[in-house]
Amino acid sequence: MSPPTRTGGPDSIPSVAELELRAVLDAAVDGVIVIDAGGTIETFSGAAERLFGYTSAEIVGRNVSVLMPEPFRSQHDGYLHHHIRTGEQRIIGKGREVVAQRRDGTLFPVFLSVGRIAKIDPPRFVGLISDISDRKRVVEALRRERDRAQAYLDLAEVTLLALDSNGTISLVNRKGCEVLGWPEDELVGRNWFATCLPPELRPEVQSMFDRFFSGTASPAHYAEHEVLTRSGERKLIAWRNVVLRDERGLINGTLSSGEDVTEQRRAIEALQKSEQLLRDAQSIANLGNYEIHLQNGRMSWSMQLHSILGTDPEYGPLQVREFVERCVHPDDRERLLAAWNRLTEDKEPMDVEYRIRRPDGSIRHVHSIARLTQDAEGHDQVVGTLHDITERKHTQEEVRQTQQRLTQFARLSTMGEMAAGLAHEINQPLTAIANYSQALQRLLAAPSAADPADVQMALSQISAQALRAGEVIRRLRSFVKNREARTEVIDPGRLIADLMVFAEPDARVNDIRIRVEHEAALPQVACDPVQIQQVLLNLIRNAIDATNEAEAAHREIGLRARLDESGAIEISVEDHGIGISPQVAENLGNPFYTTKSSGTGLGIAISRSILRAHGGRLAHRPTPDGGATVFFTLPAMQGSEK
Amino acid sequence: MKEKPATVFVVDDDEAVRTSLRLLLKSVGLPVETYAAAQEFLDQFDPDRAGCLVLDIRMPGISGLELQQHLNDQHSIMPIVFITGHGDVPMAVEAMQAGAVDFIQKPFRDQDLIDRINRALEKDREMRNALRERDEIRRRMSQLTPREREVLELVTQGKANKVIAGDLNVSQRTVEIHRARVMEKMGANSLAHLVRMVIEAHRDG
Repeated sequence: MSPPTRTGGPDSIPSVAELELRAVLDAAVDGVIVIDAGGTIETFSGAAERLFGYTSAEIVGRNVSVLMPEPFRSQHDGYLHHHIRTGEQRIIGKGREVVAQRRDGTLFPVFLSVGRIAKIDPPRFVGLISDISDRKRVVEALRRERDRAQAYLDLAEVTLLALDSNGTISLVNRKGCEVLGWPEDELVGRNWFATCLPPELRPEVQSMFDRFFSGTASPAHYAEHEVLTRSGERKLIAWRNVVLRDERGLINGTLSSGEDVTEQRRAIEALQKSEQLLRDAQSIANLGNYEIHLQNGRMSWSMQLHSILGTDPEYGPLQVREFVERCVHPDDRERLLAAWNRLTEDKEPMDVEYRIRRPDGSIRHVHSIARLTQDAEGHDQVVGTLHDITERKHTQEEVRQTQQRLTQFARLSTMGEMAAGLAHEINQPLTAIANYSQALQRLLAAPSAADPADVQMALSQISAQALRAGEVIRRLRSFVKNREARTEVIDPGRLIADLMVFAEPDARVNDIRIRVEHEAALPQVACDPVQIQQVLLNLIRNAIDATNEAEAAHREIGLRARLDESGAIEISVEDHGIGISPQVAENLGNPFYTTKSSGTGLGIAISRSILRAHGGRLAHRPTPDGGATVFFTLPAMQGSEK
Repeated sequence: MKEKPATVFVVDDDEAVRTSLRLLLKSVGLPVETYAAAQEFLDQFDPDRAGCLVLDIRMPGISGLELQQHLNDQHSIMPIVFITGHGDVPMAVEAMQAGAVDFIQKPFRDQDLIDRINRALEKDREMRNALRERDEIRRRMSQLTPREREVLELVTQGKANKVIAGDLNVSQRTVEIHRARVMEKMGANSLAHLVRMVIEAHRDG
């Protein structure tokens, strides 16, 4: 039988069988090529023509190796000979992907199946060639798609886990491996429940999965439970589970995403703990806090705030106006509202003390600090604290009252020492009044003898002297009266002049002269005049005692006010007495230390504390020609020179 | 003797007290002079002027007590009424020891002061009378002859004429004559009177 060929000569009329074969070959989608044992092409089908770009006429008779690229081209004869000699089949009956070369030299992937035509010798071979370029592209696209999907899975910062119906792990992503501490290849194929769950959780979680498979659990189920890592560590994972279905719609697995919430849970617990701590701390410190959102009026109050105010936490926070009207002492409302306005309008931080009146009528003192901040959206909100300082206030008040009593006591005792001088000062006008009025009685008893000018003078003198005595008593009263401290702005010269009413008589009865010197244009000082006079009087008393004790011939005390080098007002009392020994200097100002037989030892100590409160200080230096000069400073008011 | 009437001298540094005292004393008809300071008073002080001193015990400069000391040093006999304040008792005691007539505590009733001033003026008068009497005795004594002075001496020692005659080695009659002359010159009306005058004459001051 001659090989079928389309290129037979005109004398060779094809048989019907040949024509039928030809039709089959041309109709086939795959290219069909028949070669002889030497590799020469005998038949080249229509599909082959289209695939390779050769016409049957030009390719038949050539070696089939022209249809393949190097190195296969050169080696093809070798393969063929090897097969014919040994009968070994490398490709026949199997088919494989190979690369083919078109007429124009371009390459393309083909699937090649080779068959050996039976029972003829020498053998002939038939090759079926299908172009797999399209399939290759699809496969490549799928592979890339799969890689991308894997990359997504791996990128995801959550554990992704697929289980089949037996609970076997069929997929786990990079994060899952990281969380669980297993390499992917070791984890896939293991039973999830046995491998990754703490023993006590297995039955529960297993039954949950069983419910998925029976379709009784919701598809997007949320669950939180611990897992066991390879090293035995427990981690808390928040899971979202969905069921996977096969093409028939039957559930055949689950896909779960799990978030490691161990840290988050720890943070929440830490937060809860610190909130509890804050509550405890607020309760201990009696400190409440609040936030008020200025745009929408939303507020939050701490429990302790309610407990300070005595308000009902169930009722919730009060609006600002309601708070002021219900909780704040009426006398303090205006002040608080002013501070509130400064805070909300001028953004001036609030720092006020005021009184709270609780619903039961009890009064609490609070210290409120607040400032304006902005929330995440940039809206103004007030953040503030309320500190119950009632106990502190009471303590302060007690200390203040004790201090005041002590100060007054010292004042009285200083006055006691000066009693002789003061009595003289009051007796003088009283004596004059008595004299005048008795003289008048006598004059009026014998009207003819009375000089009207004398009567006139006596009457006006009586009233003048009564006023003089009254003035001394008024000053004395205001000096020794138990009184609240108050600040006045006063000229230092005036301070000294007022004081001389007391100091001068005292000095006079001790046969001592007080010489007052002060610069004309001294700045004013802000002080409590009575307290400063108390200090000065105390120093003058001491100077008188020192002069007496020394039996000094120089019986003069210098009282000076001047502006010192630092710009403060210095008031000094200079005597020529016994001076201050180092031993006395060391103890000076210690309460109850005294060198006087009837002293209290409080004078200097109280003077010190008065001056401290005024921002001044007390010190001493020797008087150049003997004796002591004790002086104190007071801050001068800027620009207040007269 | 000066003709000026007894005057109340007021020394007080407090003008109101000073002026009111002046008016008060004027109202009872007492001549008054006032001084604001001890030194002012000392500057014009005339020991021969009758009167009394009303003195504030506490004064700047020369105090009341110091002024009293000055006057004592000058053998002044002027009585002093001290005006003291409250709590000046120790000073008042000191003043009394130094010879003050009286003290009165401020404020005082006018009558109390006036009574004290009158007493002081009375004392001044007595003192001045006594002084005048002593001066008279001393003047009379100065008119005695040496022999008469010897007789006076012995008589006032209480000796009898006979004893004196023996002491002086003269006759008893001569003693009697001298004695009569002494009695006459001294203006004594009895021996007792003569003795009192001799004691008075020997008094200091």
